[in-house]
Amino acid sequence: MPKITIDGREIEAADGRTILQALDDAGLLMNGVDIPHYCWHPKLAVDGSCRLCQVEVEGTPKLQIACDTPVRDGMVVHTQNERVTQAREGVMELLLVNHPLDCPICDQAGECKLQDYAYDYGVNASRSKEPRRALKKNVDLGPTIVFDQERCILCRRCVRFCREIPKTGELAVFNRGDHSVIETFPGIPLDNDYSMNVADICPVGALTTKDFRFKIRVWFLEDVPGICTGCANGCNIHLGVANNKVYRYVPRRNDAVNDTWICDAGRMSYREIGAPDRLRECAVRNDSGRLDPVGLDRAIEVAAGRLRRLIESKGPGVIAGFASAHATNEDLFTFRRFLAALGSETSGLAVVRGKADDLLIKEEKAPNATGARAIGFGDARAVVDRIRSGAIDAVIALGHDALQEGLLGSETPLASLDTLIVLDTHASELQRVAHVIVPVRHAAEKLGSFVNAARRVQRVVPAVESAWETYADGEVIAKLGAALGLEGFDGSYDAHQVARDLAAANPEFAGIDLDSVGDTGRELVDSVASEAKR
Amino acid sequence: MLERPYVTQYLTEHFGEADYPTLEGYERFGGYGAARKALTEMSPDDVIELVKTAGLQGRGGAGFPAGMKWSFMPKEGDRPKYLVCNADESEPGSFKDRILLERGAHQMLEGILIAAWATGASATFIYIRGEYAHPADQVERAVAEAYAKKYLGKNVMGTGFAHDVIVTRGAGAYICGEETGLLESLEGKKGQPRKKPPFPAQYGAFGMPTTVNNVETFSHVPHIIEKGANWFRSFGTEKSPGTTIFGVSGHVVRPGLYELPLGTPLSEIVFEHAGGIPGGRKVKGVIPGGMSMPILPAGQLDVPMANEFLRERKTMLGTGGIMVMDETTCMVRVASVISYFFRDESCGQCTQCREGTGWINKIVDRVERGAGEEEDLEVLADVAGKMEAKTICAFADAAAWPIQGLLRHFRDDFVEHVRQRKCPFAGSFEL
Repeated sequence: MPKITIDGREIEAADGRTILQALDDAGLLMNGVDIPHYCWHPKLAVDGSCRLCQVEVEGTPKLQIACDTPVRDGMVVHTQNERVTQAREGVMELLLVNHPLDCPICDQAGECKLQDYAYDYGVNASRSKEPRRALKKNVDLGPTIVFDQERCILCRRCVRFCREIPKTGELAVFNRGDHSVIETFPGIPLDNDYSMNVADICPVGALTTKDFRFKIRVWFLEDVPGICTGCANGCNIHLGVANNKVYRYVPRRNDAVNDTWICDAGRMSYREIGAPDRLRECAVRNDSGRLDPVGLDRAIEVAAGRLRRLIESKGPGVIAGFASAHATNEDLFTFRRFLAALGSETSGLAVVRGKADDLLIKEEKAPNATGARAIGFGDARAVVDRIRSGAIDAVIALGHDALQEGLLGSETPLASLDTLIVLDTHASELQRVAHVIVPVRHAAEKLGSFVNAARRVQRVVPAVESAWETYADGEVIAKLGAALGLEGFDGSYDAHQVARDLAAANPEFAGIDLDSVGDTGRELVDSVASEAKR
Repeated sequence: MLERPYVTQYLTEHFGEADYPTLEGYERFGGYGAARKALTEMSPDDVIELVKTAGLQGRGGAGFPAGMKWSFMPKEGDRPKYLVCNADESEPGSFKDRILLERGAHQMLEGILIAAWATGASATFIYIRGEYAHPADQVERAVAEAYAKKYLGKNVMGTGFAHDVIVTRGAGAYICGEETGLLESLEGKKGQPRKKPPFPAQYGAFGMPTTVNNVETFSHVPHIIEKGANWFRSFGTEKSPGTTIFGVSGHVVRPGLYELPLGTPLSEIVFEHAGGIPGGRKVKGVIPGGMSMPILPAGQLDVPMANEFLRERKTMLGTGGIMVMDETTCMVRVASVISYFFRDESCGQCTQCREGTGWINKIVDRVERGAGEEEDLEVLADVAGKMEAKTICAFADAAAWPIQGLLRHFRDDFVEHVRQRKCPFAGSFEL
């Protein structure tokens, strides 16, 4: 492994890495060693064209671009000296010669690399007296992205992204020299499953998403680390939060999960959080068949009363549970314990499926199917079969995934139930036949963990609080357990404690708690391998 | 029949003969004897050593030693190796390759064949600039003749050596004369220079080891093989042996091509061979090697035309395209023409080049219009300095050098524009 010295600090690099990659690997880039760069991106091919990352390499007469200079053992690099600073100032001055300098009306302001580096390496006044390039504004590149050609600094990250990641290649540089512009080909819009990533990687305000632009100034946003719930990949995200509202999801780098990307569908799934069809209050069905809004205590009381009556008349075997892959491990483990304490023998997991690709998008459209299975929930088809056969009188459903997946065909099997208790985030057809309804929290509103398709346990933390009363699924189940007088249920619910209980009870979760999972997750214990080791 | 160049040496000696461009005519003067000698009597290493000893410098502009370039080609490995003949003569003021293609296509092909033997290349791509329709026809005809006579193909001259030649045409971009820009264009992509390393000898045309040489460089090779290194070194200077074809244009009595030994004084070329300045006017400045090379003022024309001397005057031989300007010439207008060209031809990848060429052109045009300030001249020099030696290819340098040269030697012209708030050269050529 070559050792190199950067600004007097010795670092070890892997063979064949460039200076920037070596710094990135060591976690030092822009975090101890500042080498400004535009065209280089850790997950895209090297372009070497912006020329901003020039550094001095001892023994080499010309300055070298750090993005494309491979490390050699004993290499001595200077990133902060007069010569390097002058070269950077030169590049910054030239980049700003034609830039419109419209920061006050630019949506990128506050997270703009041109702004940032201009503060570091720019001058207060331009020496250019020439008219700036007049190019196209407000170019509609496709369904998701708007482009401002004048702000573009031609780093070509977006061009390489489209060619290398979704491999759709919609964008290209047309013309040459200072009349170069990025455009789409005639009649072929920028339209792929990952198109909005170009706005994230655009270092300036040239590419912005139609969804987020002009919604809020980014300096008002707090970035809360979280997990996208759109599918089983569990892409790491930052939730952009202000005024107790989520304004956007942006991908958060995790090389073990999603690199620096997220699909458009996942990104747009933030809209679920504040959607108008969120369930807002508990309700119970009255004797005349209408739903009455009630408090949680009353809803629990009614649910417990209905279940107790059934247990007394027919035994707990007539009660079944639908688990949801949208619920956290902590919710699901509480539900599992509840069903066991109750004596129910019928439960299963419904997962909505959809299209998948070989990049990020997974077939299972929920974040925690793997976790639910690890906790012991099998296929929901078995539950449906038993309902159809008439063996089931009551169902407790977390979410309405079974309905979405089409497992039920029509609602008929559920409509004939004696008791249907639904814990859900959003309204669905289930509400028309449910007897007790409790609104529960979205992943953005609670603490817990998911297990993604690659068996990685990842944490969500509360980023916002709903403006109405909501409860974690686990909390509702715990109260119901207490109301039924089940063993091990005192009505309290603490996600941290449940996670520790899960770790103690299930070898796949051994040693995993909500603190040690951190922001980047850790893998489930491979039970087969760990048993073999023993 | 083509008029003979005014001065001829070995390269252009027979260019006046009507049938010289044909294979039959070329062989009448001993053509393909050198290739036969190399392929049957010499090992590839012998050829490389001989060319190294002869000291043949590349004639495309940079002057890199040809033998050394060939020796960079990997000897091992089973990847096919390629040669590329750079016939994209796009440097303004340069037109020597055109006559070598039109009148001496077989001479060039023979040089290619010898270089192919030396480097183990299985094919050569001849990349001819789009505007060169007639030269391209001549080359294609010559290639067809060589195939018909089995001088190209699977079994060259019965030796078992195989070599193919493919003629391709550019689409008219200056940057496609830069060797890696050429390779991109050859592969059907946008002509943008590649980052180096990897150099073409490792990763060239279609990813294979490749050597790129200029038309004239190849054309010298048969003569070196035939007559030896000492003979070659009898022309030119110690460090720059051989002849080259100087293309003289501009304010001279006899513009044209002159094959002369390297090291011939610039003044001799301008005043004796090209007949001096017409109308009894005085010379003002001379660009010695194509438009990207810094200009020399009237007082420095004694310089011998070889890189070791030209470098002392902060300029280079380039392609040997000599552009002569007399005393009526406005050097700000010259700067305007040059900077417009480079602004238009920059590929636009690197920041300094894309933005710098445009900015320089805008400033120069403003000064020429009479709207310049003294401080603009400082900005000009500073921007040109910021473009030098900091980009993927040498284009930014090529765009900066002529501006720096004009400011160095003709600053007074710029200052007069600022003072008089107009162009003081009424008789200067129109834009």
